[in-house]
Order: sequence, then C-alpha cells, then structure tokens
Amino acid sequence: MSSENNNKKVNDGEMLLSVKDLTVQYTSMGSVVRAVNGVSFDLKRGQTLALVGETGAGKTSIAKAILRILPDISATAKGSVVFDGEDLMKLKDKDMEKIRGHKISMIFQDPMTALNPIMRVGRQISEVLTAHRHLTREEAVEEGKKMLEMVGIPAERYNEFPHQFSGGMKQRVVIAMALACTPELLLADEPTTALDVTIQAQVLELINDLKERLNTSMILITHDLGVVNETCDDVAVVYAGKIIESGKKRDVFKNPLHPYTNGLFGALPNMNLDSERLSPIEGLPPDPTDLPDGCAFAPRCPYATDKCRQGDIPAVEVEPGHFCECIRVHEIRKEQ
Amino acid sequence: MALIEVQHLKKYFDVPNGTLHAVDDVSFKIEKGTTMGVVGESGCGKSTLGTTIIHLQESTGGKILFDGQDVTHLDKKQLYDYRENVQIIFQDPYSSLNPRYNIAKTIMEPLQISKRFKSKEEVRAEADRIMDLVGIEKRLRGAYPHELDGGRRQRVGIGRALALNPKFIVCDEPVSALDVSIQAQVLNLLMDLQDKQGLTYMFVTHDLSVVRHISDNICVMYLGQLVETCPSKKLFAKPLHPYTKALLSAIPSTDVDHKMQRVQLKGELTSPINPKPGCRFAARCLYATEACRQPQQLREIEKDHFVQCCRIEELN
Ligand SMILES: Nc1ncnc2c1ncn2[C@@H]1O[C@H](COP(=O)(O)OP(=O)(O)OP(=O)(O)O)[C@@H](O)[C@H]1O
Ligand SMILES: Nc1ncnc2c1ncn2[C@@H]1O[C@H](COP(=O)(O)OP(=O)(O)OP(=O)(O)O)[C@@H](O)[C@H]1O
Ligand SMILES: [Mg+2]
Ligand SMILES: [Mg+2]
Repeated sequence: MSSENNNKKVNDGEMLLSVKDLTVQYTSMGSVVRAVNGVSFDLKRGQTLALVGETGAGKTSIAKAILRILPDISATAKGSVVFDGEDLMKLKDKDMEKIRGHKISMIFQDPMTALNPIMRVGRQISEVLTAHRHLTREEAVEEGKKMLEMVGIPAERYNEFPHQFSGGMKQRVVIAMALACTPELLLADEPTTALDVTIQAQVLELINDLKERLNTSMILITHDLGVVNETCDDVAVVYAGKIIESGKKRDVFKNPLHPYTNGLFGALPNMNLDSERLSPIEGLPPDPTDLPDGCAFAPRCPYATDKCRQGDIPAVEVEPGHFCECIRVHEIRKEQ
Repeated sequence: MALIEVQHLKKYFDVPNGTLHAVDDVSFKIEKGTTMGVVGESGCGKSTLGTTIIHLQESTGGKILFDGQDVTHLDKKQLYDYRENVQIIFQDPYSSLNPRYNIAKTIMEPLQISKRFKSKEEVRAEADRIMDLVGIEKRLRGAYPHELDGGRRQRVGIGRALALNPKFIVCDEPVSALDVSIQAQVLNLLMDLQDKQGLTYMFVTHDLSVVRHISDNICVMYLGQLVETCPSKKLFAKPLHPYTKALLSAIPSTDVDHKMQRVQLKGELTSPINPKPGCRFAARCLYATEACRQPQQLREIEKDHFVQCCRIEELN
C-alpha cells in the first residue's frame, strides 16, 4: 500500500516528454511550407498541456511529428522528441510501431481518417481492445458496448457502420478507441469540436478519469479556451509554428502577455455581452512559405516597431514559468 | 414572410435493429433574411434536418415549403432549380471537399455547372472574387484539400456554397473547426452577406455563444424532436425546458476563478431506434413523472415561446 503511494509520487514529478527544437517542413507546389519552426516544451506525467492557436499555426503538425506520422515524401521533421528517456526521432520504424497506439495514442482532428468506413463500428472498437488489453472476443464485445455507452451512444448501435453515425458520434467512437489503448501519452487533436457541451463534459470527464487512474499525460489541441480552462494545467500558444507564449494556465489566462494572446481572448464571443460584431485579430496569419524576418506576428501587431521586424525574438520569462516571445512585452504592459 | 417552412417533417432510417427516427415530426418557420439557430445533443438530428430540407435526402413524411411553394416532392428539373436557391456548408471540412479537385476547381465547378457565366474568364474572375471574400490566398489556387489546414478547408467550403448566390444556406457547424479569431471573421462575413443580400440561414452549432451571437430564433432539439423554440434573447434569458437548462449550464467557462456549475445528466440512454411514445428526455430528466410517458406536444407557453413538456407550468 505505502509502496504504491510512493510510486505514484515518484511518477508524478517525472518528465514524460521533452520536445526540443522541433521543426516541420512540407514541400508543396515547388515551395517549402515552414509549418513548425523550433518548438520546445516539456510535459510531466499526469499533466495536460494545451496547444492553442490559429488555424494553420502548426498544431497538428507538432502532434504528427511526435508520433512520426507525417507524410513520408513531402514532409521533413527535425529536432528531438524524448519520450520516457528515448528519442523517438532516432527509433527504428519497427520500434516506433510498438509505441504508436500503445504508449502514445492520438485522437485525430478528422474522425473519418481513423475509422474504417466499411467495418462495423463495434468491431473496430473491439479489435483495439483485443489488441491492447488481451481480452477474449466475447469480453471485448461486452467491453466495447460499455465503452459506446460511456460516450453516450446506446449499445444497440454496436453493429452499425460509420456512415450511419452523426459527426459527433463518429468523433466519440474515435475517442473511445483512443482511450481503450490506455496510453501513457494521449495526443488529442480537437477532440470535442463536434460535440455539444453536455456530451463534451461527459467526454472530458472520461479523459480526466483516465488521467487520474493511469497518470496519463495529454497534449490537448483546441481552440476552445473554455475547454482549456476546464482540463489543462499548462498552456502554450502557437503562432506561425512557434510557441510565442507559455505558462501555467492560470498565469496565461489571468495575465496574457503577448499581443497575439490578448487578441485571441478578445475574439471570443462573450456569453454576457450582446455585442453586434466580434473583434477578430485584424489581418491573416503569415504565409508559411514566406515567413517575415523577426516576429511573425509583427505585420498584424498594433505595437510593432522596426526592431520587431529583424533578427531572432528571444523568449522572456516575465514571471516564474511564464514565457513570452515579444521584445516589447514590458513596454506594452506599461502603455496599457 | 417565411422563406422556409417545415410541417410535421419526418426522416427515418432503417438500421440493423429497427427504424431510427432521426427527425420526428418537426415543424417551424424561418422568416426571410433571418437566422434560425439549431442546437441539441450530438446525434439528435440537426444535420439530418438540414440535409432533408435542402433535398440531399428525401423526407419520410411531412411537408417542406420554400417561399410559399410546396417543395416536398420535386422532379429532376425542379430539383435543379431548387439547388440554385439552397446550399449547405458542411460540418466536416475534411470529407466534404473532393480530394482530387484543387481549390480553384472546387470553387469554379458550381459556377461552370450553373451556365450563368458566359466565358472561362468570367468564371475565373468570379472564383477569384469568392476566394477574396472568404479570405483564401491566391497562392492556394492550385493546392489540394489535404494540403490545407482545417480552417482554410472550411473557408473553401463556404466559398463553394456562396458561389451561386443562394437564398437559403444550411450552415452545419461552419465554424467549429476554426479558431476563435477566424471564427469571428467568418461569422462577420456571414452576417455581412445576410445584410447585403438578404440571405436566410439555418445555423447548426454546438457553440452556444456563437448561436446566441448570430441567431434571431433558436430551435432546441432532443432525439429527433423539437423541445423548445423562441427568439434567441428569450432562450438565454429564460430557458424553460429541462434539457435546455442542462445544456446552458454545461458551457465551459473561460474564467479561471469560476468553473461551471453543471446540471449533470444521468440515467439510461434513450435510443432513437423504435422510440416509445412520450418525452424522449424523460429517462434523464430530474423532474420526470408518469405523465411524461404520454405523447407530448409543443405548446406556446409565453408569446413566441414554444415548449414541449407537460410539466412546464409546474416547474417554472
Ligand atoms: N501535407 C501537407 N502538405 C503541405 N502543406 C501542409 C500539409 N499539411 C499541413 N500543411 C500546412 O502546414 C501548416 C500547418 O498546418 P497544421 O495542420 O499543422 O495546422 P493546425 O495548427 O493544426 O491548423 P488547424 O487548427 O486548422 O487544424 C499549414 O499552413 C498547412 O497548410
Ligand atoms: N444514413 C443514415 N443511416 C442511418 N442512421 C443515420 C443516417 N444518418 C444519420 N443517422 C442517424 O440519425 C440520427 C441523427 O443524426 P444527425 O447526423 O442528424 O445528428 P446531428 O444532430 O447532426 O449530430 P452531431 O451534432 O453529432 O452532428 C443519429 O442517431 C444518426 O446515427
Ligand atoms: Mg490541426
Ligand atoms: Mg451533425
């Protein structure tokens, strides 16, 4: 009993994943798409990190690079991804196979890529269960039905095909399959975008339950800041393939530093205000085939000066553990 | 004047275990130039309702009126004309675009089919204008859907739906794949188009702050049925149906100091396959009694505020 407790404690502070200088580039129509440009972060056991940021910022590319499932021909990834003491980037393909779907599993943004359209839904779940939990066929069917009910789908729908399910039902099946693997690290890419808030709450509870039982760590990719607030410990804000702000959730929410992060919060439709128009951040994200010098946000930033448009922008630790890549962060805070 | 009206609309599917009542006796109107928000649990029939209204699938029963005309049953020619007037923006920006068409071709295709444009140049110019409108960069003309992030894919889908200047658009979760900033741009775009061209929308979404922001009226569905409908302001100020209350209480909050006080939905799942008569929410409703097992009717409880719940007067 006491040794079990000790174990958990040791595990708790332990680093599970450490990503350093990750870059991802694609070649498309003769040009190079610089999707991820030097991303580093750490994740401890049992912790959840949120990756938030605009569409095209490179969030999915980061997750796919960790799992090494980027397209072989058109993409290259560099940097190191140390998982449980091993650099995944250096593993042989067949060793990576063993980690994928076992120790690390991913909930994809697009549920249809993860489901086989011509196989009954229940069978797809039970196959995962037989593979990972060494259940017999009958046990797997029982457990599979239970998992369907856990994500709010009546067990009697076990024998239907994916096209007979609604968008959110497919997403829930994919979540059930990812959780069935009992992974150490869960990469969840927009797992609840297709769900209403009551089902979403139910699903997030399931994920939290897994975290508590197995000390699973999670990278949660989402643009729903409410979901981040409900589930995450740390937040990293991604812009043009870089983490431009990171820290404890409370610090980032209470005290957003980067002008981009501030814009992100300003664009939320507010439940309590009946404003006519929303105030999105002006302009579009930069073209990843032609990134500007200096800070990639400068072209849209109301505070940008000439100095922002040159050289490397270093990360500043504004309060303990709260980093921001903005050379004017101190001045801007005074101005406000 | 209502642009869209449905009366007792039904859409059933045959599935391995019986007949699935995806949309079951739904009636409502959408006035010209307004937006009807549709919310409800995942799987309650919102997408089916939208695709049935615009004839992507045939209804099982009931009536559909467009601009006063009965369009429940259409022959080929009528369907062709109807399609120029009604469009859909899909929930899933991944599977709704043809993977073999590049972006320019995707947007040009409906323009070419419509014969509204005389020359190739006109079609190209119109496609360029639409790409501008939805904020897709010209450099992406030749790109294929798999090369785009989720947000850009969804904007291509929106561009395609807007191409023929339709009168009515079913927006099925058009912004859920987008981050808040681009979400705001797209919502503003949809509202501007409504102002300028008098477009009418049916707007399906899970995001209650979005639906509140964009809708004039709201329908709340539960397992194929309409359980509450009223002007948007009223719904948020004074939700009446127990399901609506549970739904509104589950919105995740962005305030780190105040997490939500959720009404937990417990109890057995109700299946839409061969459903029993009576309230479909009863199995999970805190207030359910024997009376709730009887067939329920949508009743006007206050002016313009319709609710389907036999206990509503007692509860509120
Ligand atoms: N296979 C590919 N070929 C070429 N470019 C790609 C490919 N996949 C992604 N990209 C590009 O890489 C950039 C980052 O894409 P990514 O999908 O990682 O963004 P994201 O942050 O996940 O966006 P979203 O929130 O919309 O899902 C985008 O500019 C995208 O167009
Ligand atoms: N082609 C089909 N065959 C059989 N059943 C179907 C079919 N299409 C939808 N259904 C069922 O009809 C019901 C309503 O589905 P629909 O897609 O309309 O839900 P929804 O409200 O849009 O859900 P979501 O919010 O998850 O997208 C679901 O139970 C679904 O499984
Ligand atoms: Mg993505
Ligand atoms: Mg749907």
